[in-house]
Amino acid sequence: MHLSRLKTVRPLLFLLVLNCVPGEAIFAEPDAAKLVADSLQAFYHAGKDMRAQVTMRLINAQGKERKRVMTMLRMDTGERGGQRYYIHFQNPSDIRGTTFMVWKHLEREDDRWIFIPAIKLVRRIAADDKRSSFVGSDFTYEDVSGRVADDETHTLLRTEEIAGRVTYVIESEPKERADYKHRKSWIDQSHGLPLREEFFDARGEKVRVFVADQIELVEQHWTITGRTMKNLQTGHRTQARFDEIKYDIGLTEEMFTERYLRNPPRKWIR
Amino acid sequence: MLKRVIEQSMDSPKATLAVICLLTILFATQFIKIHIDTDPENMLSADQPDRVLYDGIKKNFTIHDLIVFGLTDEAGAFRPATLEKVSRIIDGILLIPGVITDDVVSLTTTNDVTIKEGQLEVRRIMREVPETLAASEALSGTIADNPLLADKLISADGTGIAVYVPIVAKDQARRIGSEISSLAGRELTEGQKFYLAGLPIAEDSFGIEMFIQMGIMSPISGMMIFLLLWLLFRKMTLILPVMAVAMCTVILGMGLLIGLGFTVHIMSSMIPVFLMPIAVLDSVHILSDFYDRYPGIGDRRETLRQTMDALYTPMLFTSLTSSIGFASLLLAPIPPVQVFGAFVAIGILMAWLLTITFIPASIMLISEDELQVELGKRRGDGSGMNGKLQQLGQFAFNRAAPVSILAVLVLAVGFWGISRTVVNDNPVNWFAKDHELRIADRVMNKLFGGTYMAYLVLEGKADDDMKRPEVLEYMVNLQRVLDTDPAVGKTSSLADIIGQVGYVLHDKDVRWRKVPDNQEELAQYMLLYQLSGNVGDLDKFVDYDYRSANIWVQMKQGDNRIMARVQHRLLEFTRANPPPGDISLRWSGLTYINKVWQDLMVGGMLKAIVGGFIAVLVLMVILFRSVGLGLLSMLPLTFAITMSYGLAGFAGKDYDMPIAVVSSLALGLSIDFAIHFVQRYRACLIETGGDLERANQMVFGETTRAILRNALVIAIGFLPMVFSPLGPYRTVGVFFALLMIFSSLTTLCLLPGLLRLTHGHLWTVGNGVISTSGDN
Repeated sequence: MHLSRLKTVRPLLFLLVLNCVPGEAIFAEPDAAKLVADSLQAFYHAGKDMRAQVTMRLINAQGKERKRVMTMLRMDTGERGGQRYYIHFQNPSDIRGTTFMVWKHLEREDDRWIFIPAIKLVRRIAADDKRSSFVGSDFTYEDVSGRVADDETHTLLRTEEIAGRVTYVIESEPKERADYKHRKSWIDQSHGLPLREEFFDARGEKVRVFVADQIELVEQHWTITGRTMKNLQTGHRTQARFDEIKYDIGLTEEMFTERYLRNPPRKWIR
Repeated sequence: MLKRVIEQSMDSPKATLAVICLLTILFATQFIKIHIDTDPENMLSADQPDRVLYDGIKKNFTIHDLIVFGLTDEAGAFRPATLEKVSRIIDGILLIPGVITDDVVSLTTTNDVTIKEGQLEVRRIMREVPETLAASEALSGTIADNPLLADKLISADGTGIAVYVPIVAKDQARRIGSEISSLAGRELTEGQKFYLAGLPIAEDSFGIEMFIQMGIMSPISGMMIFLLLWLLFRKMTLILPVMAVAMCTVILGMGLLIGLGFTVHIMSSMIPVFLMPIAVLDSVHILSDFYDRYPGIGDRRETLRQTMDALYTPMLFTSLTSSIGFASLLLAPIPPVQVFGAFVAIGILMAWLLTITFIPASIMLISEDELQVELGKRRGDGSGMNGKLQQLGQFAFNRAAPVSILAVLVLAVGFWGISRTVVNDNPVNWFAKDHELRIADRVMNKLFGGTYMAYLVLEGKADDDMKRPEVLEYMVNLQRVLDTDPAVGKTSSLADIIGQVGYVLHDKDVRWRKVPDNQEELAQYMLLYQLSGNVGDLDKFVDYDYRSANIWVQMKQGDNRIMARVQHRLLEFTRANPPPGDISLRWSGLTYINKVWQDLMVGGMLKAIVGGFIAVLVLMVILFRSVGLGLLSMLPLTFAITMSYGLAGFAGKDYDMPIAVVSSLALGLSIDFAIHFVQRYRACLIETGGDLERANQMVFGETTRAILRNALVIAIGFLPMVFSPLGPYRTVGVFFALLMIFSSLTTLCLLPGLLRLTHGHLWTVGNGVISTSGDN
């Protein structure tokens, strides 16, 4: 999926959906795989690049919370689904300056680096698991950076109205063994973003629930600015807020290198 | 008024039996509400400070109830074929409902962080099953290099692999355990064994064993008593009522307990076992007396009247004293023990009421002709026993001084034995030695870090206190001290996690396996650890505010005295090296909790037994209207308790929960014989106008026969309990026998002589003293 194409398709789709909701039945059933692919595009690939101030609240079963504030930079590399992430922690103060970088690849393991300011050390991290926790939260790397539509088979179950929005309910099943057996997503028919996702394990038990708490229009991109992931087994949940979002700020690949890991780009990171 | 009840039951025997049967059925219907509680935490009341702390710790550090699965392979577990099986078993475990899959700690679900050529590698410990033996062994080496995993996931000798399975609720432990068993059973071949350990499994097993006990062992004891009664009385229509009284008492007592909403705990499950012999005692006295009188009178109504007249007071007092003995348990601050004491106390009074109505009523239902035929010819029966008893009575009467001296010596030996008593308990030891749980306990504790968990909690005053380097340094020192105890198999803490991160981060340089000297570095290591994927792990060691931290102390033995030793060792260290700043230390965890309630129990039981002893003494003084007689009548009880506990001390039997509770039984049961003996002795003395020797001869007739019969029935009747699968029941079985032997021996051998020696000095009877049987 290319960004240029999306830009033209998106408003069209938007209008189309707005117009046709009551009389949906007259259209042929949409292709589930295409709906998911479009949704992933809208969710994770809006704009060429972006910057956001992310506040994560990690809340345990007793309601105690740990807050982490970070700046997140993201750019799409242009290769299929490839992305670069740069995360700079600001809060709590004792981890201030810790930076974390991910080169996301579709076809192979991601590359990750961490810079530990207290000992001024950069280490590259090899990890085979895109489904492990993202910086200790209930979100996985995939939840933050997106999945590949082709990795799952998708079935459109029905349309359903939740919180006053009309959604497609789609069931997706990973083709290869994953941490979930299948997931259900409620994709908003108007802007294509998921309003809710439920993950089921091999026993058929619902284990994690994603909820889009707030969706805003930022520079023409519908963006999920508040989101929660809850682990139903442990009762732990993570709320993430995205503030100060800016799209297409002109990030370059150079910014996602070891040099900037040690010396954050002052222009984007305060 | 109560004597009216006896008359009434003789007047309308059928109605009496019908009412009792109806009541029993009514109470029996309550049994469907039964709720079993085997949680040892409930030995403490819900608001007990140590328990409150433990509940808080479990929540604060997200500690779930665990089932520990262990697999051993004689040929070495680190072989491709075995690892393949382990991997399949883990896959299966993840499919079992009720398992908290996210928190399962195992070779294939837990991450390990290593470093290779300057690159951190975050991988599942066993991402793929190794294909060669060399690769398998390399894997085992990698695990051994991580102190957070070594001795936890694999044994030091490489023959064992463990999987830690957290579960959503304790009451699912047995089901989940059996599903794991069948998974493992399918995979294992020769030389391979598997074990399930962990407290939830033990607790569930306890519940099952309890049912076996209640459903099989108690009825067997009942049958045994029945058999003995038949041998002694040989008349079915007379002993069936005795059994019926015992049964009804048990049903009424348990029905009341369950109906009132109390849970059946390990303690209260023993109520039937305690009520049965007590319910039988009075009936045996009635039957004995009836058998003796009937041939001479020939009229069942008149015989019963005389029998009940003679026995009413002693039966009332023996029931009251037994009841008080158990009610004294209310002084022990352990809720299940209090419930047990209260309901046995109530049950005893119900048994008494049943005995004085049911037995006369059912005798009234037997036709006079039948009794004439049966009992008329039995006059001479037991004459052999009679003769022997008379001889014994004569001997004890005449040789008062030597018998007394011997008694003092014996008592001294008893006290010596008591002084050797070791106070100790371990609920796992309540199971038989060959029980699969005991076997799993032995094997798992040999191979791994230890299955008995205690927690040493460091509590700070402010958030982030646990990020202070000096606090973590202190943690390391505490662990060093704890590790010196041979029973401590493994300790783990936040300091270990941080040390491991530093070690790996610096290319496995052991100099970096230490606590950094600044908070920033510490915090960044923790963040890195969380990035490695084992997110929940950190929470097990430090709370969300970094205000308190938790050192996991794994012990290979769960005995309370071992816990006390470890505690003491730590205390010595902390006295000399107090924690930095505002940090305070507190122990918790089940191994510690067990010790807490034991301490409460020992103190509580001492209070209970002293309180009970005084109460019984007061009752005796009231009954005999003589301080001297009251004191004398306490002798059999004193001997029974001293000798039973003395023997336990010599035998090396730990003073544990079951043994402590039996002391109330001793109070209640051992006084009975003395009451019957002294009461009759006094009555005879009045009858004979103060002839001590004649009175002694008279008592060594029916009364002593009844005492011996009772001692026999109870001592032998409860022997089957010695084969019970649960330790507490075995203890009770043995103690029933011991108490009966010692209290009957003391009554028959010591009292005659002492009564003679002290008459006129400590007590008198005759000059204007009215016989108590005369008041009735």
